[in-house]
Amino acid sequence: MTVTESAPITEAARGQAPSPPLDVEPAGLAGILGSGDHKVIGRLWIVASLFHLVLAGVAGGALSLERIDTARFGSVISGEWLAQVFTFHSVSGVFLFLLPLTVGLATLIVPLQIGASTLAFPRAAAAAFWAHLVGGALVVGAYAIDGGPFGTDAGGVGLFIAALGLVVAALIVAWLCIATTVATLRAPGVTMTRVPLFTWSNLVAAGVWLLTLPVLGAVLVVMYLDHTYGGEPGTVFLGGGATVYDRAAWVFTQPAVYALAIPVLGFVGSVVPVLSGTRHRLHKVAMGAIGAYGALSLGMWAMPGFDAAGGLERPWLYDGPWIAMSFLVLLPVLVLVGLWLDTARSGRPAPASPLLYGAAAVLMLLAGLFAGAVQAIEPLEVIDGDVPLFNTTMTTAVAHYVVLAATIALLGAVVFWSAKITGRALAEGIQRAVAALLLVGTVMLAFPDVISGILGQASGLGGSITGRNVEAIEALNALSAAGGVLLILTAALWMVALLAGSVSGERPGDDPWQGHTLEWATSSPPPVGNFAGLPEVTSEAPLYDARHREEAST
Amino acid sequence: MGAVAPTTAVPSTVAPPVPAPLALAPPAPLRRPRVLLVGSALAAGASSLTILSLLAIWLGVRADLVARGQPTLPEGITIELTPGTMNMGTMIMSAVTAAWVVYSLRNDDRPHAYLALFLTLLLGVAFIVQTAYLYQLTGLVIAESPQAVLIYAATGAHVAMTVGGLLFLAVMGFHALGGQLTGRSAEAMSAATLYWWATVAVYAVLWYGIYITK
Repeated sequence: MTVTESAPITEAARGQAPSPPLDVEPAGLAGILGSGDHKVIGRLWIVASLFHLVLAGVAGGALSLERIDTARFGSVISGEWLAQVFTFHSVSGVFLFLLPLTVGLATLIVPLQIGASTLAFPRAAAAAFWAHLVGGALVVGAYAIDGGPFGTDAGGVGLFIAALGLVVAALIVAWLCIATTVATLRAPGVTMTRVPLFTWSNLVAAGVWLLTLPVLGAVLVVMYLDHTYGGEPGTVFLGGGATVYDRAAWVFTQPAVYALAIPVLGFVGSVVPVLSGTRHRLHKVAMGAIGAYGALSLGMWAMPGFDAAGGLERPWLYDGPWIAMSFLVLLPVLVLVGLWLDTARSGRPAPASPLLYGAAAVLMLLAGLFAGAVQAIEPLEVIDGDVPLFNTTMTTAVAHYVVLAATIALLGAVVFWSAKITGRALAEGIQRAVAALLLVGTVMLAFPDVISGILGQASGLGGSITGRNVEAIEALNALSAAGGVLLILTAALWMVALLAGSVSGERPGDDPWQGHTLEWATSSPPPVGNFAGLPEVTSEAPLYDARHREEAST
Repeated sequence: MGAVAPTTAVPSTVAPPVPAPLALAPPAPLRRPRVLLVGSALAAGASSLTILSLLAIWLGVRADLVARGQPTLPEGITIELTPGTMNMGTMIMSAVTAAWVVYSLRNDDRPHAYLALFLTLLLGVAFIVQTAYLYQLTGLVIAESPQAVLIYAATGAHVAMTVGGLLFLAVMGFHALGGQLTGRSAEAMSAATLYWWATVAVYAVLWYGIYITK
């Protein structure tokens, strides 16, 4: 690593007359397969994650339709495949789409924001991407051969567990590269308290995931050994493949699911001051709030316990720490919202699409956190029985709110940084419409589940609907399904707009938003090595400082 | 861009970016202190956390067995303390020799650095061989009990971490043999040593959690 990361020594550096530029970055397929450039790797992560968004979205849409009265409208998914589609939607949505998209954006943007010429361990980062791609393909393949958590093909189930383990390992390596980059490769003047909030949020996310994913990896190791070697099929000691989803599902519930939304805070913290044309209020307080949010979303302790009989006890449920974290996690977000409103008030907010994406994401995150706090109140039960709210569709709604908040923010981040990602600007009108439609679709998808959860509908594969509220729940399920379909169509529209913009969008110049941070000090897209020169960095907004110094001098 | 007018204006204090085809000039020289050390520390942390999680799962099942009044190990199985303790001693010695490598490199004492590196690798390989012997001696069969699944998971993952640490040490050793690591740039060997120490520390926890408490 120490040898290969050295910057190339050019003629100019040796004091000789520069020769014609050499094409050191191979073009075509070799440039993709063999690249250690963080921008290429970041783009690969983003493209692969969007492919999996299509798969996860289709599975989610089918599940939404399945929850509508199947006796009246027929079934979309046959019975034996229902559990498979359900788990595939969760697994692919988080591990193959959302986390990879977060990693992709961080890989691409973080080195630019801190003035680094490269990502730490670029070859390890590239290896992480390719390993994730292979692991993701194997996960999909395992489902295709009737593997997956509830599959009947024992080999396929084992393949699923191993492939998911590979995906988790790849994500660990990717986060490790990002964390090391922020810790060690900051440009002169970029102290840790001056790093942009998006970079800071990714450092916090890296810390949280580096503490979370190894625990999940350990669970997968045990489940693989138990499934493959532990006793006879059907009598495996710890539950084997049949319980692997239940043992991994803590990642999709509070508090661990909140960690998926950490970049939301960094993205909004980046766009609000830029699009308001002013400095972020109390930058260090904002950093502390994002750090606090990350600490409160650490959730590996809230996983089902193991016992000798393969049980799945959850002793933490409705216990003090779980309740406390469910409420406390709201506080840092409220602090940040206050800071953003104050920042916007002190400037002139422009209603550009990234700001709309950010506003929609924060609203949905707050809705999810609030619903999560409500379902943590133990005396609250569903209307039609003495069943607690947790594990009703309210739990599903919390996950949907948070995951979709993160999705909205990350799609908005692609729009905001499209000049650096694709070298082109995306059509602003379409992006505003997409932001609004994503907000509407998320509300339509998740809010009915909050109500139907209160009415008593179990989450996931909880069986048929019974009780006095059947008709109301079915109507809510239909509304939720409509929201799911709207989200799928909106995501498709976003992808088409991204594709069109990448091919034929206008070239926006280096700094289309009058940005504050270092990524806007280089060309769009950035060259190899990222920067020809860097401005003096004396605050968290060096370009804002430079612009104002120039105005003052003239 | 709608409400925000796109502009190509760049503040005068910012050097104009070089077009992509000519952008091969090196960026402003950055100090890169401890990149490998920080990355290795994070990798060691993630590896350790995985193995400690495996141990925690075993301890959870073990506590459940104790609560049920059942034996913690399958009938007829005993884990001898001596081989595990020998392993612990081997690992402690290797931690000392690994530190010796770094100390020697920092003092440009290459003969001692090679000797210490050879001893560290030898002790590491000895640890793996001793672990294999311990497996054979214990006679746990993975298909016969959940205890075997969990003990093999935790100790097997640690053996994998040990192999990774040995490879890391060996690669850095080749760098040293090639003359790339000197007293002024022993960071790479420090990073490998840090990872190795984490391997030793994790084994100390396993030794207590599995071989002593059984």
